[in-house]
Amino acid sequence: MYEREKDLIGAFLRGQVDRRGLIKGLGAMGLAAGTAGTLLNLGQTRALAADFDWQAHKGKSLKLLLNKHPYADAMIANLQTFKDLTGIEVTYDVFPEDVYFDKVTAALSSGSSEYDAFMTGAYMTWTYGPAGWITDLNEWIKDPAKTNPNYAWDDMLPGVRKSCAWNGQPGGVLGSDDAKQWCIPWGYEQNNLTYNKEMFDKAGVGIPANLDELVANSAKLTKDVGGGVYGIGVRGSRSWATIHPGFLSAYANFGQKDLNVSADGKLSAAMNTAESKAFHAKWVQMIQESGPKDWSTYTWYQVGTDLGAGASASIFDADILGYFMNGGDNKMAGKLAYAAFKANPAAEAPTPNIWIWSLAMSNFAKDKDATWYFLQWASGPEHAIFGATKMDFVNPVRASVWKDEMFREKLKKSYPGYVEMHDVSAPGASIKFTAQPLFFDLTTEWAATLQKMVAKEVPVDEGLDQLAQSIDGQLKEAGLG
Amino acid sequence: MTAVVSQGRSRSRFRIGKRALPYVLSLPALLVCIGILIPFLTAAWYSLHRYRLSQPWGYKFIWFDNYLAFFSDPKFWNTLRVSLVYAGTTVVLELLLGLAIALLLQKRTTLNNFISIMLLMPLMTAPALAALMWKLMTNPGFGILSYFAGLIGLEDFRWASSPSTALLTVVLVDIWVYTPFIMILLLAGLRSLPTQPFEAAALDGVPRTFVFFRITLPMLTPYILTATLFRLLDSIQQFDIIYAMTQGGPGDTLTVFQVEAYLNFFQSTNVGRSAALMIILWAITYFLSNIFIKNWLRLRERARGEA
Amino acid sequence: MEHTSVLERVLRGAALTLVVIFFMFPLFWIFLMSFQTNETILRIPPSLVFTPTLENYQALITGKLQTAAGSLDIAFMRNLWNSVFLSVTSVAVSLLLGVPAAYAFARHKFRGSEDIAFTLLSFRFAPPLLVLLPLTIYFQQLGLANTYFGLIWVYQLICLPLILWIVRGYFEDIPADIEYAYRIGGHSWFATFRKIALPLAGPGIAAAGLLAFIFAWNNFVFALVLASADKQPVTVGALAFVTASGIQYGQIAAAIVLSITPTLALALYAQRYLVEGLSLGAVKG
Repeated sequence: MYEREKDLIGAFLRGQVDRRGLIKGLGAMGLAAGTAGTLLNLGQTRALAADFDWQAHKGKSLKLLLNKHPYADAMIANLQTFKDLTGIEVTYDVFPEDVYFDKVTAALSSGSSEYDAFMTGAYMTWTYGPAGWITDLNEWIKDPAKTNPNYAWDDMLPGVRKSCAWNGQPGGVLGSDDAKQWCIPWGYEQNNLTYNKEMFDKAGVGIPANLDELVANSAKLTKDVGGGVYGIGVRGSRSWATIHPGFLSAYANFGQKDLNVSADGKLSAAMNTAESKAFHAKWVQMIQESGPKDWSTYTWYQVGTDLGAGASASIFDADILGYFMNGGDNKMAGKLAYAAFKANPAAEAPTPNIWIWSLAMSNFAKDKDATWYFLQWASGPEHAIFGATKMDFVNPVRASVWKDEMFREKLKKSYPGYVEMHDVSAPGASIKFTAQPLFFDLTTEWAATLQKMVAKEVPVDEGLDQLAQSIDGQLKEAGLG
Repeated sequence: MTAVVSQGRSRSRFRIGKRALPYVLSLPALLVCIGILIPFLTAAWYSLHRYRLSQPWGYKFIWFDNYLAFFSDPKFWNTLRVSLVYAGTTVVLELLLGLAIALLLQKRTTLNNFISIMLLMPLMTAPALAALMWKLMTNPGFGILSYFAGLIGLEDFRWASSPSTALLTVVLVDIWVYTPFIMILLLAGLRSLPTQPFEAAALDGVPRTFVFFRITLPMLTPYILTATLFRLLDSIQQFDIIYAMTQGGPGDTLTVFQVEAYLNFFQSTNVGRSAALMIILWAITYFLSNIFIKNWLRLRERARGEA
Repeated sequence: MEHTSVLERVLRGAALTLVVIFFMFPLFWIFLMSFQTNETILRIPPSLVFTPTLENYQALITGKLQTAAGSLDIAFMRNLWNSVFLSVTSVAVSLLLGVPAAYAFARHKFRGSEDIAFTLLSFRFAPPLLVLLPLTIYFQQLGLANTYFGLIWVYQLICLPLILWIVRGYFEDIPADIEYAYRIGGHSWFATFRKIALPLAGPGIAAAGLLAFIFAWNNFVFALVLASADKQPVTVGALAFVTASGIQYGQIAAAIVLSITPTLALALYAQRYLVEGLSLGAVKG
């Protein structure tokens, strides 16, 4: 029956027609969007099946451990495609983010073989990898017999892809030649500004061009917007999560580092330099003047909630947090805009630190080849397009998706500045931390020190000296310093 | 007491030896619990190791080095101090408040009974969720409690986010959740006291403060001790409320044992240190309960002797 | 006691009112929140004026949650059922094991009885975190991981010591003479236990059972670590409303209300055992 339609889809899949042309063409033929989608999926399945034996693991079954997240939702919505394609049965456990990593740690540390693959952040693999809980995926990615020809590994944004690879040496450069691919990036978050246009107009401030302007603008916003609105939302809880978003992105823009790595591979604290102290002083001043009053309890959802409900005028945090606050039943939905942020006036471009939701394979997986089938499908180009255009799969990690006109249109329509922000800051986006096993100890202590500084319990320079001393001690104790 | 019972002539169809009976009755309970001893001993064994999951190559037996390291670690002493202060404050305040409420509700009226059940509701709210709600209610913008604080002139009250008020705030939530626990135990105790001594005292016109301190309180002591014991065991191990409200911050204000051990285990995956911390916590609770139990037994003997 | 002055009654009333306000207000506020969406919950300053909506309860009960990121499936009712099942079964097992043991400790001072009693109580000292990792490993080896049976067993650590110690106190308060008299009448110890001791200690058993139920209900770390998503209790379920696209306060509030309801119903039902006519006092006097 649908002969002409199938031809058109075939043309699309061969790259002769772009996606918009395809949907338009199908629309002209009188097909409802839903039907077009189904046909497209059918086409997808066939295209995927073309020159690769997707059915090799037919009849096997996998179990996933997932975090309650739009990425997971997008995958679950498309999961039937994978089941049809491969004949592999897939079940999954979804846990709330609040307890998700506790569940992962508990499952992996006890050597449970219940889960074959799971969602993780790149930082977590610095523990999971050396602990022997996850598998180096290079073995599969580089094997043409196991990976389908359309997978296009090189399509992944290089900064993001490299940030998921580490050689396991404390201080080892991410993405080095001897690096192991501990996980596959799925979706990622850059840390930039999301701001409330109306409030910015009301206070008569523009988009800040550097840290000094950010501090001054935020103070002006706090003073002039009124109604208890404060200028800038950043996280402040006693956790690594306080260090990694806006804070580290701006910090890295000044060329500052968390740790020094000496020639013989020894680590030492690097946050007590004069530049670092000056940066910390400005950051602390910004929170004291224009941050949330109960900043020291703030984690991502409070930063987001305040922006969405109109309690804050801007946030320097994950771009996708700003994205979600611009929709749904949030009071400020439709009033938010986005901008890349470059803290250092002397820097050439923004250098956002990134969070990467990734997929990893458990070392205790019952059938690793079958698990890899799932991983390559879930991180493959077809699912990425599906997630990005049909679901809320921001931000995709594939360059081809960012070039997709339909995806760009969708963002441009309701998220002003989002695409531009991404394009400006993506080249400098990568993980700015030094990969090493004490990541969580050191960042938690860093956050606690920031809290003490903001509460004026310790002066900035003194606090940083104490922090550096304590970190050096811990590194030595762990045999890393 | 034993003598009295064993003199009774039993004509049951089947007989369990008099001496074996109590063992038979208590053995199943013991057996069910004993399973936990094995993981417990395993964990104690871990605590004698250098054991970081993220550095498996460093695994080795180090005797008591994990423990010895605590002595020179100011963070550990802070943890010990904060845990004891927290447990002490919450238990004392909850005991006083719980006793006061139990006395207010002592009379058996329908209203009192209803109120006593209603007051149990905070206890029925899972502490992790209760803390989430308290966090919202103390938010400076959206929070109803912050709004009330503003009305009485505390515009800038920072609740859990300031080092000077964080302990106070978390203790307040703990009081809200757990006072009903003490209240209900003491209320049941109060109402089961014999009426005779009180009637006699009323007839003799003994002052009410005297009655309270010389009759009510001593007779209630076993109940108070039971309630305090369980509350103390839970309070010194408090995690849910503190972690959900402040994650141990601001600074190191509220890094109690469980928060430290949790971070050490789940985030740093430093199993050895986490286990050592927990063993110390276990030793403290063991020591405290021992004191309580001794007194409990003694007081019970005396209370029954007097009655 | 009958000669209470007017002043005293006023003071007592005022004190009781304050107590009720302190303990009830946050719950009242949560109750109100459960009929609101984030839009009215998150207002500066907070306000009492809102149009109530049943959206939150609808989402929880039907299992469909609408968020900024589309429709999500939630398993809240399943979580609620897990909580009910785990708590009820655990407490039932604890009562079955704990009450006879408590009776033994109260009535028969046998050799080592205090030591055994203390050992049983001391399981309550062990911080759950301490045994978590070894427990997970052993449970996997024994095939108990991810089973209700395993969870109920672990829950005994929460329920059993509490029941044992509270019930023991009540048994000890029953004068031995009563039981003695009954046994002289030619009844077995079991009949005595069943006909005399159990009914007399009833309120204590009810109180202990209810408290154990509440503690079992509020625990979630064991289920989180030892079981998969389909066996999680209501606390874990409610945390799912802290979503990546924002925290859903209305739904969390509704989840709290729904999760209190079964326990409250149980407490109200057990009320007459808990606080009404404790026969103990009468017996003693």
